[in-house]
Amino acid sequence: MGKGKARMRLAAVMLAAMPTTLAFADEPLDAVLSCMRANVPQSVQIKEVELTAVDRVGSKRVLRGRLYGQREKEQLRTSLKIAAPPDLAGAAYLLREKGDGDEMYMYVPALQRVRRITGTGSDGSLWGTDLSYGDVKQINNAFSAGGGAVDGQGELDGRPVHLLTLVPDPAEDSRYASMKVWVDQQTCVSLRADFYEGSTVRKRWSADPASLARAGKHWYVGRATMSDLVEGTSTSLRVLGVSSDVDLAGRYFNPQTFYLGS
Amino acid sequence: MQRLLSSLAAHPLALVCAVLALSVLAAATLFDARTGQIRLRVDPSLERLLPPQDEDRALFDRVRALFGETDPVLLAVELGNVYTAGNIERIDRLTRRLAELEGVRQVVSIANVQNPVADEFGINLSTFAAQARADPAAVAGFAQQVADNPIYRDALVSEDGRVAAFALSFADLDETRFRAEDYTGRIRAMAHEITGAEQVWVTGSPVIKAATTDAILRTLKFTIPAIFALVVILLLAAFRSLPTVVFAALTVALAVLWTLAIASALELSLNLVTTLVPVLVATLCLAYTVHVLAEYFHPRRPEQQRDRLERVYRRMGASLTLSGATTVAGFLALIPGSLPAVAQFAALSSLGVGLSVLLSLLFLPALLTLIGPQGGRRPLGAAMFARKARKLAVFDLKWRNWIIAIAVLSLPVDLYYASKIRVGTEYINGFDADQTVRVDYEAINSAFGGANLVSILIETYVNDALTDPALIREVESLQDWLEEQPEVGATVSYVDHLKLINRNLNDGDPAFHRIPDDATAVKQLLVFGGSDEIRRVIDSRFRTALIAVRIRVDASIEIAEFVRRTESRLQKMSPPLNGQVTGSPVLATRTVNEIASGQLTSLLVAFAVIWAMLALMFTSVRSALLSMLPNALPVALYFGTLGALDITLSPTTSLIACVVLGIAVDDTIHFLTRFNHDARAKASEKAAVKSALASVLRPVTFTTVALALGFLVFTGSELRNQVQFGALAAFTIVLAWVSDVTLTPALGSRLRIVTLWDILRLDLGQSPQHTIPLFSGLSLRQARVFALMSRLETHPTGARVINQGDSARDIYVVVDGTLQVWVERNGDRKALAAMARGAVMGEAGYFGQRRTANVDALTPVRLLRFDSQDLERLRQRYPRIAAVIYRNLNRIQAERLARATAMIQ
Repeated sequence: MGKGKARMRLAAVMLAAMPTTLAFADEPLDAVLSCMRANVPQSVQIKEVELTAVDRVGSKRVLRGRLYGQREKEQLRTSLKIAAPPDLAGAAYLLREKGDGDEMYMYVPALQRVRRITGTGSDGSLWGTDLSYGDVKQINNAFSAGGGAVDGQGELDGRPVHLLTLVPDPAEDSRYASMKVWVDQQTCVSLRADFYEGSTVRKRWSADPASLARAGKHWYVGRATMSDLVEGTSTSLRVLGVSSDVDLAGRYFNPQTFYLGS
Repeated sequence: MQRLLSSLAAHPLALVCAVLALSVLAAATLFDARTGQIRLRVDPSLERLLPPQDEDRALFDRVRALFGETDPVLLAVELGNVYTAGNIERIDRLTRRLAELEGVRQVVSIANVQNPVADEFGINLSTFAAQARADPAAVAGFAQQVADNPIYRDALVSEDGRVAAFALSFADLDETRFRAEDYTGRIRAMAHEITGAEQVWVTGSPVIKAATTDAILRTLKFTIPAIFALVVILLLAAFRSLPTVVFAALTVALAVLWTLAIASALELSLNLVTTLVPVLVATLCLAYTVHVLAEYFHPRRPEQQRDRLERVYRRMGASLTLSGATTVAGFLALIPGSLPAVAQFAALSSLGVGLSVLLSLLFLPALLTLIGPQGGRRPLGAAMFARKARKLAVFDLKWRNWIIAIAVLSLPVDLYYASKIRVGTEYINGFDADQTVRVDYEAINSAFGGANLVSILIETYVNDALTDPALIREVESLQDWLEEQPEVGATVSYVDHLKLINRNLNDGDPAFHRIPDDATAVKQLLVFGGSDEIRRVIDSRFRTALIAVRIRVDASIEIAEFVRRTESRLQKMSPPLNGQVTGSPVLATRTVNEIASGQLTSLLVAFAVIWAMLALMFTSVRSALLSMLPNALPVALYFGTLGALDITLSPTTSLIACVVLGIAVDDTIHFLTRFNHDARAKASEKAAVKSALASVLRPVTFTTVALALGFLVFTGSELRNQVQFGALAAFTIVLAWVSDVTLTPALGSRLRIVTLWDILRLDLGQSPQHTIPLFSGLSLRQARVFALMSRLETHPTGARVINQGDSARDIYVVVDGTLQVWVERNGDRKALAAMARGAVMGEAGYFGQRRTANVDALTPVRLLRFDSQDLERLRQRYPRIAAVIYRNLNRIQAERLARATAMIQ
């Protein structure tokens, strides 16, 4: 239970946006990370987020929803409402970053009540998919308080990329020892990331460069896949109708009202 | 063939060099030149003995594919009281360190699982460790919270709260690496180091398989040197020549090396069954070398080296080939319909036997010819065996009817006890009680209500079917039934998760620890409220689920009984629910049953094949059948013993009957062949029994001792199934010996056998069926059969063959040479006739009259001699041949009468 918090942050994270300034190939790590963080808009609305989870034997389960995100005093507020499949429609999540820990609220239509969830780790899967809040946060924001280095420059799918190695801050309690990231030099969007458990790649994030798109001045990828190389499962993510820096009603981020309306 | 043997005998050096060159190649194939390690892999898993396309194995693989690894390593650490903040912290540290081990996919312990605490303010889903860190006082409530949680109860902490458990699942870490890198030892050491606990236990399928592999390797390291020590001692005792012993031991070593090298080249692995092959091959090869050495050193007049070698090749070629063929037939009989591992055992053993025959027959004598001692010492115990053989022959002949009666009457008794045999094996109990692997297993089994995991796969083939409350209640009812079974310690299913989620999302109210009333609510709770762990018990489309069952029992018979009951219960579920039982213990149990169930077929095939070979060899169906009885008896006694002593028929004990049958029949062949030869030469079956026993008792006893001691080497194994195999095989081979020195002579005393080799070797001159009137109308083979049912005698020039006035009932046929028939008249020798090839003489004696003339050999002669008993035996065994012979005899008599009448007239 309670992997929901990731879902919220997912919004802001997913929409890795356009850098205000382009990072150059020989720039230090901070410049590349800063460029990546600049892709996070002040607010965002995604009309449709689609997650397709493929299990070990190839069975698929599809979830669709709508996502709203807002940056408030540099802390994220994210809500997600499930629209499909019909028997899950109406479920909603709200995640509020706070200085002393995150708050998460979950609304399950069958219970007809909002439950506040605490104590969930950032590595738990989202609704049985291969994505976790921690993964997505790291893909786009990197380990905010961790260390790392620019390993050099390279090319991925014909696009010049920065090659980064990042290690998490021990305080983040991450399951991963390190992460290798291929950051597109033009857009500062992560096109690929390998998550290492010890010396083994546990998960791999792969974005489709052809789906790179802009919402306002922010870049994001429209299609990506997270694969769990150990479990043999994968989850594809598709986002449609991304609008950034839009005015969003406060009810989307209020624990009493976030699940109401469409 | 003769030319080939001559050619081989002419080039012993080339032969030895070729064998040594091939041996270097075999060694390079078997051993890694860089590390010196043997390349042959050891695969201890029983479930992989099943064929890849087997349905049970496919189900097991499907469950693993759907729900991940179902065979975790279980670590248990005794902490006195798990429920203290300090110990929770230690468990947490150990959990993290274990997770850092390479290849570990996941570690589950009380430290890192969520402990949902729900109230009206919400749900705290943090782990036990996090809660203990945040509020050490909260630890006091953990015991109750664990007891209230069916997923954790008796799984993470023992009921008495003293022992903490850790379940480690692995990814991309095969059994070979698990063992080679001593994960068991590393996990144990880590647990000691981090928790400071004195009592640490580690078990689980990978641990037991690694321990089994170690035991197999240790057994091989022990048995192979032991068998060679045995080879040396026995050969030294028998031949009392160090070079001979060294060369024979080298021959045995090469047979084992070649066999294992071919196994390595074919990428076969040594499993619980094929691990018996090296010792088996060494033992059989030892027996073959004994026969070859006996022939090589057989005292004869001085002869050239080449002649000696050719003699050994010629004389031993046929008998060793037949011995090898019958042994191979016994092994190959295991193949039809058997599991791949048994088929591999049979094929490898057969290959080893073939190579043993080849090396013993060709290489060993060639080596001895080149650099070995040329004279043999008087064999040890020859005089003593000769005395015993005489006494034994007298005993066998005196009590002939009793011996046969006891043998025949014991068969139904054996069959009665054999019907009580139970099929099964014990896995962990196969280790000694004080072995760490067994101690650990039993400790965890006892502390956590079962250490064996069985999975029940529930399939519906309909998406979301398992969110239907009615079906969920059926699964719940099945789970309740399972928990009532005496073998079951605990069960976990998605129903447990669902009820917990429902309770937690309803403020922890125990009233909501139930199945929700509608499918939509169920699905929402499972999707939004389920942890990662739920993916281990239900699939993402809610159509397939798994019930994880911990069972306390280990023996395959108990597991089979549980599976049978469970399958019967699963049949009662209503559609669309379908249930199947799987898991490592289930698969291993089915493997055991599969191996044993093929036993009857294998035995029948072995009997049929060996009987057919004997029938061909003895050119008689009846003789072959009779000679099978002394071999059927020890097999029947073996099965009767299993039933009487309640020894189960396991993968290893089920091999014994066919193996022993294939080996023991050699002794029967040796006796009957010798008996046949002597009976013909001595014209007396009773005398032949004595001489044949005197001839074969020593070598047959010697090889029996060698084989029995060879099998007994297995009793030094750490694995009970190998100990059982060794002891029972030795026991059965001794039974076969007893049968061969009592029942075989008793049966053989009235048996005249014509072997295929006799027929092929017998020289009756050019076209005997055309040049000898008695054989007119017979084929060459039939003429030879008749000749062999008679006695072929040779007489030197001047020898008296028939004495006038003697009372005798034999008829003679001249095969070659010239004889003179004469009578004495007034002190003068009056020649009546000259007899040459084809002539018949002595028929007057046949009809009860005294000999009417003398017959002397004018040249060296060969004669066929037969009497009315021979003809009667011929009539019974070969009626068609007898009919022609009688007709020809009549015709010869008629012609003779006509001639006599004409002379009188």
